[in-house]
Amino acid sequence: MADGRVSPVEALSPASKAWGEIGPRSAAPHWGMVVDQERCIGCWSCAVICKSENDIPLGMWWNRILTEGESLDQPEVVRGGALEMQWLPLTCQHCENAPCVKVCPVQATYHRSDGLVMQDTDRCIGCRYCMIACPYGVRNMNWGAPERPTPHETGMVGARPLGTVEKCTMCVQRLAEDQVPACVWSCPAGARVFGDLNEPEGRLATLIREREGYELLEEAGTKPSVRYLPPRRRSPL
Amino acid sequence: MSSAAPPITSGAPVLTGRADRRALYAWIALLLAVMGIGAAAFLYQFANGLAVTGMRNIVMWGQYILFFMFFVGLSAGGLIVASAGRLFGVGAFKPITRLAVLEATIAVILAATFILPDLGRPERIINILLYFNPTSPMIWDIAIVFVYMAMSAFYVWLYCRADLARRGSWLAFGSGTSERTMAREERVKSVMAWVALPAAIMLHSITAWIFGLQISRGFWYSSIMAPMFIASALVSGLGLVIVLALILRRLGRLAFPDSLVAMLGGLLGAFIAVEAFLLLAEYLTALYPGAPEGEAAARMLSGPYLPLFVLEVVVGLLIPFVILSQRRLRASPPWVAAAAVIGILGIFVHRLNLVLNGLSYPNIDLPPGLPVGTPQVGSSFSVYTWYVPTLVEWLIVAGILAFGALLLTAAVAFLPMQEPEAH
Amino acid sequence: GCMKGLSYVNQIYGEDRITTPLVRTGERGSGDFREATWDEVLDQIATGFKDIGERWGWDSIHVFGQVPGSGYIQKGANYRASALLGMSHGTSFDFNGDLPMGMPITFGVQNAEHEAKDWANSRFLLLLGANPVETRIPDVHFLFDAIERGARMVVVDPSFSPTAAKADAHLRIRPGTDAALGLALCRQVVEDGAWDQAFMAAYTDAMLLVNPDTGLRLRASDVFAGGPETHFVAWDTTTGGPVEIGIDRLGVPAGVAPALEGTLDVRLQSGATVAAVPGFELVRHELERWTPERAAEVTGLDPDAIVRLARAYAGVKPAAILMGGGANHWYHGDLTGRAFALLAALTGNIGRSGGGFSVYVGQYKVRVDTSSWWSPGGAKAHVVPSIYFVRGRTETMHPDVPYPAQGWHGLFCTFANMFVQAMDVNRLHETLAGLDLIVVVDHQMTETVKWADVVLPATTWYEKTDLTATPLHPFLQLQQPAIDPVGESRSEVWIWRELMKRIDPAAAAEFFDVDEDAAIAAILESGGAAGGPTEGITLAALTQGPARLNVPDPDVAFKAQIEDLVPFPPRSLPAPLEATAVFVPTGRIEFYKEEQRFRDLGEAVPTWKPPFDDETHDPGAWPLTLLTPHSKWRIHSSYANNAWLSEIHGGRPEVFISAADAEARGIETGDQIRVWNTRGEVVAWAHVSESEQPGSVTLYEGWWPRQFAKGKGVNELTSSAVNPIHEIHYVANMWAPSTGWKDCRCQVEKAGIADG
Ligand SMILES: Nc1nc2c(c(=O)[nH]1)N[C@H]1C(S)=C(S)[C@@H](COP(=O)(O)OP(=O)(O)OC[C@H]3O[C@@H](n4cnc5c(=O)[nH]c(N)nc54)[C@H](O)[C@@H]3O)O[C@H]1N2
Ligand SMILES: Nc1nc2c(c(=O)[nH]1)N[C@H]1C(S)=C(S)[C@@H](COP(=O)(O)OP(=O)(O)OC[C@H]3O[C@@H](n4cnc5c(=O)[nH]c(N)nc54)[C@H](O)[C@@H]3O)O[C@H]1N2
Ligand code: SF4
Ligand code: SF4
Ligand code: SF4
Ligand code: SF4
Ligand code: SF4
Ligand SMILES: [Mo]
Repeated sequence: MADGRVSPVEALSPASKAWGEIGPRSAAPHWGMVVDQERCIGCWSCAVICKSENDIPLGMWWNRILTEGESLDQPEVVRGGALEMQWLPLTCQHCENAPCVKVCPVQATYHRSDGLVMQDTDRCIGCRYCMIACPYGVRNMNWGAPERPTPHETGMVGARPLGTVEKCTMCVQRLAEDQVPACVWSCPAGARVFGDLNEPEGRLATLIREREGYELLEEAGTKPSVRYLPPRRRSPL
Repeated sequence: MSSAAPPITSGAPVLTGRADRRALYAWIALLLAVMGIGAAAFLYQFANGLAVTGMRNIVMWGQYILFFMFFVGLSAGGLIVASAGRLFGVGAFKPITRLAVLEATIAVILAATFILPDLGRPERIINILLYFNPTSPMIWDIAIVFVYMAMSAFYVWLYCRADLARRGSWLAFGSGTSERTMAREERVKSVMAWVALPAAIMLHSITAWIFGLQISRGFWYSSIMAPMFIASALVSGLGLVIVLALILRRLGRLAFPDSLVAMLGGLLGAFIAVEAFLLLAEYLTALYPGAPEGEAAARMLSGPYLPLFVLEVVVGLLIPFVILSQRRLRASPPWVAAAAVIGILGIFVHRLNLVLNGLSYPNIDLPPGLPVGTPQVGSSFSVYTWYVPTLVEWLIVAGILAFGALLLTAAVAFLPMQEPEAH
Repeated sequence: GCMKGLSYVNQIYGEDRITTPLVRTGERGSGDFREATWDEVLDQIATGFKDIGERWGWDSIHVFGQVPGSGYIQKGANYRASALLGMSHGTSFDFNGDLPMGMPITFGVQNAEHEAKDWANSRFLLLLGANPVETRIPDVHFLFDAIERGARMVVVDPSFSPTAAKADAHLRIRPGTDAALGLALCRQVVEDGAWDQAFMAAYTDAMLLVNPDTGLRLRASDVFAGGPETHFVAWDTTTGGPVEIGIDRLGVPAGVAPALEGTLDVRLQSGATVAAVPGFELVRHELERWTPERAAEVTGLDPDAIVRLARAYAGVKPAAILMGGGANHWYHGDLTGRAFALLAALTGNIGRSGGGFSVYVGQYKVRVDTSSWWSPGGAKAHVVPSIYFVRGRTETMHPDVPYPAQGWHGLFCTFANMFVQAMDVNRLHETLAGLDLIVVVDHQMTETVKWADVVLPATTWYEKTDLTATPLHPFLQLQQPAIDPVGESRSEVWIWRELMKRIDPAAAAEFFDVDEDAAIAAILESGGAAGGPTEGITLAALTQGPARLNVPDPDVAFKAQIEDLVPFPPRSLPAPLEATAVFVPTGRIEFYKEEQRFRDLGEAVPTWKPPFDDETHDPGAWPLTLLTPHSKWRIHSSYANNAWLSEIHGGRPEVFISAADAEARGIETGDQIRVWNTRGEVVAWAHVSESEQPGSVTLYEGWWPRQFAKGKGVNELTSSAVNPIHEIHYVANMWAPSTGWKDCRCQVEKAGIADG
């Protein structure tokens, strides 16, 4: 966490703090997230709060919402001539078998014991091999000096050095205060659930089981810690 | 051009005439100037970040990696030619062995140099030693590059040592030319050939694996990557040796018969055939099922990639192959040189296609795509990007190429290039 | 919250933030200003307004301050000052086209909706021209909650909106034809015998007898000796004679089995006999015409789908109808509202949790009595519908409208980007040209600001105190400053206080020497009596977070009417009950309207009429309907300049057009295209999309003129036509001309060269 920053969590009202609290967890948690495509309304609140919480400069996004459609927020014709559109929020999947970790020549990207894939931007040499390796395209390079629309830095983490690669940290600065990641906290549709994948009866495990949660690019074998719940079956008139 | 070999002036300093020397100095001054500009461009890039390049989040590797790969290829190719000649007792190669080894050395030095401007934090390169990650192909590649560099430098020295000793140069490091020493030298040379060949093959295979092991990149994720890299290394490496040899012969620094040129040309043609075969195997496997995995390969055959594909295959492979398969043309050094040059360029385009097509379509290509990485007019996202190197990148590349030319010039000017005819 | 609020930092500190007062130095609209001190601009405005006041009358100054519901105190200051100085305050709910005129016509209220939370209790959700996925972002999860509990969601929308993408079924209706669908659904429900006769008799005017010769309802005084003129008459089938129906209580008198159909011979006091008909008979007569086939012809829907929808909707309870701006923003939007209100009534869904007919539009609602702040010393501001500011008075304007005798000479525009968001902008500019002084208060350098003579820098909601509640959430919320005012910016209360000091020091001393907290305390006090809306809510409590108002939970529209038989209408704040009670003299839900103009225009019962703009723009020459829904990326024009959001959507206006219409015009995605009609034109960028159907194009409202390739924004094209039905009564923001944004024909062609 950056020096001299006061956590906004401290300023939250008790109700808000409770709303953001991390639920039950096992002795050795493996943090993960479930994203519900049925509920996601493609609003980008989670992406925008990520931008502000993590002081992400213009041109870079750790979190973004893809449209399964023709273009941003536009549907596509599916079999039978019907129209369909879904959203797919995408950020670092915190892969258990993380290609980025494997390829980083200097171990600047590495696993924490709680399953999170972290990034040491003080060590990173900016070779961008991890960006090549990541099948999800969630890594961003600090190509130039950061540009912001206002004269102010935002959020709770310090700016990253020029020439290094960065990505979603699962908001470890918030986890440290027992608060869910900013994107989860912000989602107006309740499409994001954060928790411990190791907790067998926890919310994540239950949702994944009951809603047939799936892994994105399962064929890549990355074992992501983020899982998706597919949209429901519709009952047309 | 006459086919008669110019007189051989083995061992003697070449540039005796005043005019010659002036031309040399002008040439060196020019190279130094280009290097200076390159260095300035590098400092500019260092201060402002890689934002001054054409690379962004989607095509995040560009010109520098391209040249790195290309020079690794040139280097491996050169060395393979040199040591294969020795290993398989092709004595006819002898006149150009030194040149081949020298080319390999300089090429690998350049390759290593190209790593530097590619890094976002070049000053942290020491972290590679401090925190090296054994599972990273890049670590192994960098390691092999340096091992290989040392080895080929030694190889060059080994070939020149006797001549240097005869000249009394300190560069001989006190070794003499006694019969015993010469015999030992021959033994070491034989051992070196055995070491160098696999090293060269490894160098290029590991470089290939930087790409070929990435499941995230459909266009690269293939076991044929390493063989193909070696084939293309052979084409470009041998091609460059041929071209350099002909230039040196022209400058009077090297003598060999036209028959050697024809022979090398034939070999080059064979390498090209291998390359084409591997390419065919690759594309056939990718395209035949008509499955999504073949998308990247299919892209090469349409849109903006089609002209590049034509350049790579039709121009880069087919034309030189046709030239070199004609006995009459093969006998003509200018034709062989032309085929070699086209072949080298074809390999360059091949690598360009590899990088561009491998990267410009992200793996998950849903709209609006990936954040470009720097502020944009309009949307900051893009599903697909084309990559065009900037002036800064060209200047840095030019600087490094000038550095290579300088090394070559110095070596040619001051090192004995002609391998003595068989004892 | 949503991505807009989360990116508000860019509004506070971004490039377009206005931080000092500005005085115009160039032509109006040039955007050339110089910075000035507060003293200078306040003096200038005071002098300017006094001059206008003396010369033309204070009422020739129009104060346009948008919907007061989103800021009872700061926006209330406009009312307070207008009342003190005699300026004409503008309207908003009607001006915004949000006022669903079907509501006052049918229920006698400004509007009444279920709180959003209640969506979750529904088993069937019928969405009509509403796009909550984009326009109700914080509430849309209630729809998913309902769906998770087994509800079905059907979306009626000409476009494949993001909400349609979430639905079980999407009915792609032809724009402006919803009423036809509604009538066909009603007919089917009646035909299937699935309608709730008891509900219709008890709560609506279905049984009240109408004299077909006069078109008027029979009054008790017509039929019974000594019967009051205000009471009505029904026909009791058990006794075979008329019965008097009072207006104090809903329901059917005990023992009476009222006739809802047929012709009944009623003997009048005058001795004559009339063949009277129950109100429902007249409604039913109109419904007969709306067979699925006829409705299908008008709406472009499949007749079977209409029948299936009718059965699905009537087949489960509670079923909710959620109508939005897309269906309401039409010249004849009232007819759509009336048709679907009828559907909800026929199925007995009114007043039930999880059911209802709710029109979700605007941020109009005043949930507490604010008169202590808005009406200093009891003085009320004159309120003139702002559409008359844009286009001048109409011939049919209601006589109660206090239109200024000398016309318009000044404008004080605040909390609004009027010159972008108002209709028929080129016509508005004719009014502007005649003004002596234009003052605009805003914190962003908008197009409206650019046309101002004097610009006052407002604080944002991060920087000032206010009190607010919303239509969808019955909670009172205190807006507390989180940061100091940026630059020289000041709150609206401060601005009016300083202006008043210079214009009328005495009034300033008496009425403006208060701060926000005091104003809030007074409002809380006036509603704080037992049973009052703010009972138990204190300022101190509000500083800790929003407080639920003293309303039923869940807050369901017309609950008191349905459960306690309290007559319609409930009160619509801030108007007194008497003002709106005249809308429904029967005290019931009225589907038959007896006012002369309804009958003259053939709208006495719910019906469908073609879009009004067809009358001014022949559909042959103007084949496309221009739809301008609300964008998720903006609140109207606000956030259009937000850097983070622009990074996502690209920041340039796109016109969505169907492949067929694009092809016919040689248009491809990315082309610059001209969109125009007789009122104006814009040049924007085409996006050929499957979401659009042939015959309409969609250009989300709210883009700034500077983002277009050409034009003053999309509202160059929209119409300021006034529906005379909306002028039958006049209560500001409650029965007043409602704008038909989507009732707009246009043509499209390729302009210039493609630029990707
Ligand atoms: N993000 C965001 N949210 C907002 C606002 C905003 O500007 N931005 N504004 C707020 C305000 S003040 C309002 S009034 C509301 C309005 O918000 P909504 O009630 O959702 O209204 P619109 O966005 O105008 O239109 C909704 C849908 O109606 C469709 N439509 C257009 N014409 C017709 C038609 O003839 N029939 C039918 N059935 N559908 C039609 C459009 O295609 C569109 O998908 O949103 C509020 N919420
Ligand atoms: N074509 C078309 N036009 C439409 C519509 C449509 O559907 N189609 N919809 C209509 C509807 S429903 C509505 S509600 C209207 C809305 O019309 P407006 O209310 O005019 O719309 P906004 O763009 O939200 O303008 C609000 C302005 O207030 C400023 N503002 C924000 N906070 C403050 C503050 O604290 N103080 C002051 N002084 N200013 C502040 C903002 O910067 C912004 O410029 O638009 C209508 N226009
Ligand atoms: S999603 Fe990409 S960056 Fe994240 S852990 Fe997996 S490979 Fe690494
Ligand atoms: S860019 Fe940084 S984190 Fe990524 S692989 Fe290179 S050194 Fe590792
Ligand atoms: S967890 Fe934190 S860093 Fe990761 S996407 Fe969510 S908000 Fe961004
Ligand atoms: S905030 Fe929630 S609903 Fe909005 S895009 Fe993100 S995940 Fe989807
Ligand atoms: S636009 Fe509406 S939902 Fe979004 S932050 Fe503002 S008030 Fe909340
Ligand atoms: Mo509105």
